[in-house]
Amino acid sequence: MRKVLIIIKREYLVRVRTRAFMIGTIISPLLMLALITLPIFFATRGGGDRRVTVLDQTGDPDMFAAIKRSLEARGEGDDELNRRDPGVGRTNYTLAQRVVAPSEDLQAVELQYQQQAAQDPNLTYLVLRPGSAEPLEVEYFAKNTSDFSIGTLERAINDAVSTLRLKRAGLNTAQIAAYTKRIEMKRNKITSSGGVEEGGRADFVVAFIMLFFIYMTVLIYGLAVMRGVIEEKQSRIVEVLVSSVRPTQMMLGKVIGIGMVALTQVGVWALSALVLTTFGVSVFASRGLTMPNVPISLLIYFVVYFVLGYFLFATLYALVGATVSSEDEAQQAQIPVTILLVVPMMIFNMIMANPTSNASIALSMIPFFAPTLMMMRIAVVNPPLWQILLSMLIMAASILGCVWVAARIYRVGILMYGKRPSIAELGRWLRYS
Amino acid sequence: MNVIELNHVTKRFDQFVAVKDLSFEVRQGTIFGLLGPNGAGKTTSIRMIVNIFAPDEGDVLVMSKHVSPELQSRIGYLPEERGLYKKMKISDQLVFFANLKGVNSGDAARRVDEWLSRLELSDWKNKKPTDLSKGMQQKVQFIASVIHDPDVMILDEPFSGLDPVSVSLLKNVILDLKQRGKTIIFSTHQMEQVEQMCDDICLINHGTQVLIGGLKEVKRRYGKNTVILDYEGPDSFLGDDLVKHHNRFPNYSEILLNDGADAQEVLKRALAAGARVNRFELVEPSLNEIFIESVTGKASSSKGGVSQ
Repeated sequence: MRKVLIIIKREYLVRVRTRAFMIGTIISPLLMLALITLPIFFATRGGGDRRVTVLDQTGDPDMFAAIKRSLEARGEGDDELNRRDPGVGRTNYTLAQRVVAPSEDLQAVELQYQQQAAQDPNLTYLVLRPGSAEPLEVEYFAKNTSDFSIGTLERAINDAVSTLRLKRAGLNTAQIAAYTKRIEMKRNKITSSGGVEEGGRADFVVAFIMLFFIYMTVLIYGLAVMRGVIEEKQSRIVEVLVSSVRPTQMMLGKVIGIGMVALTQVGVWALSALVLTTFGVSVFASRGLTMPNVPISLLIYFVVYFVLGYFLFATLYALVGATVSSEDEAQQAQIPVTILLVVPMMIFNMIMANPTSNASIALSMIPFFAPTLMMMRIAVVNPPLWQILLSMLIMAASILGCVWVAARIYRVGILMYGKRPSIAELGRWLRYS
Repeated sequence: MNVIELNHVTKRFDQFVAVKDLSFEVRQGTIFGLLGPNGAGKTTSIRMIVNIFAPDEGDVLVMSKHVSPELQSRIGYLPEERGLYKKMKISDQLVFFANLKGVNSGDAARRVDEWLSRLELSDWKNKKPTDLSKGMQQKVQFIASVIHDPDVMILDEPFSGLDPVSVSLLKNVILDLKQRGKTIIFSTHQMEQVEQMCDDICLINHGTQVLIGGLKEVKRRYGKNTVILDYEGPDSFLGDDLVKHHNRFPNYSEILLNDGADAQEVLKRALAAGARVNRFELVEPSLNEIFIESVTGKASSSKGGVSQ
């Protein structure tokens, strides 16, 4: 045990002290910070001012007034209008009207504006063609027609026009407000204990983030274990080590040591995430999503499944590392293991769509899929406790089995160079004393 | 007292028998040469002594006990294929290896300093292996195998890749360790080094013992059947009836005689052929010659020293 600790210490320190680790650990949260704050920055800063000239040949004086009111009212207060256009840049529109008399040639006026707009990127114009409100043909001309704020413009015009129509149909302002009020559907989640809690689209976000996180971290650190084994084998350090340590101790020390590096990194990230949550809340809110309410129990499950998943896969990657002589060979040899890790990423949509089906339950019990799929089911549907415990038990048993097999292969493999062993040979290695 | 004992040890890998019924003893305070061609089973034997493999049959005893993880800390092993961690400082790695052998970090750091200065590597203490020449790395690896002051040392090709200065430095260190009562198993293909350093030797081939005993005794068994002849002129005077094997070196010839051939006859023929003889000496065969003969089986039929 003492020897395992010495190896854990070496594996840990050697990696934590590298520049790559420091950069990865510190830069990543900064990147996350940037990802979260930049949209906030732009969302709150808005798209600036935009002048729109309305070439109006409708001959309807109310039309321009309605559009102007609708558009300029946006961005002020907790207005019904604002709720529909959250966070996509509060562009300040300044509308000017250019009335085009019915006798005037609209096309000639348009051409004139078109030439001006070609010179001046800030000049945009809107054409309201004759035919009054029914049907109204609207065209927008600008150098940039793909920014988000144009949606706001379109909705503002729609709001204005439909309000105008309703008004003309004889409704007063209060009635219009009452009739067009949007409803909001509240999502409620029934828990396995029979209770009800607030649910929402955010569950999906949480489930996906956790799924992806476990996948990425297990993959990155599992491969680090494999590379570590290959490094020791290739540089022949194993020859020196095996005269001091049992191969099983070497393997466990490496897997645990690198696992602790992973936990350190995840820990640093989790802490920074906690700090960033305050920013996060406002982003989610500004995007019209409620910030997912992540219960502590989910975080605990996350850690447990992460650790179990890491151990299972790291052991397999160590086994692969022991059977190859170079990183090139490893590229191929690690594919079966990586596939086990990738499969859940390809079928998670199916599980998400029907998380309580028998197929979903069965798949989430398979030890190689449990860390991702069961984790996702926990985030989405709160499966009964026995299912969670059973999957953990299956995983623990699988880890013991894998450690046993990997240790026996490792013991022989690390001292074998040259040709990659066949499956039959690996079977024979298991039986060596 | 025997520090290491192998009694009828056999080790198989599937059908392949790597070591077959091998027995030898290593006396305390001696240097024991474990010799044999590539693939003879030397490394497998050594790995059984350092408890990497367990024998299928027979016993491997170190200090009269079956090898165990506890005994590993009293053995120092310098494998033929050896390496260092590329991204770790020299001193850190040596402390790590010492820790694994049960030396606490404080002691280890002190011993690392001592050894580094003894092998003239102090300036490289905080460097990484990639900054060191191959020879320097070799010396660091040697330190790693002796840092825990083991009673038994197993050195597999310790001098390969070293310059003559380093070889003599390391040789003195090894002889000094022997003086201090350490027992050393030395495995190499350099027969001159064996002749210089070993007390006893064991030659194995195809996993079995071919030759064993004290170095002097083994050579004596072969008798003085070799002529060292330093001459100028053609070598056509050497007839097949006299010479079994002829090694022509730039400055002299080593002539292994047939059984019963008279050495004086060689000299007579040389003079008769008009060669100028500068040196004529009747000697025991070199270990190199014994090695080649024993391994290739050439003329082994009549050699008393070769066991079957």
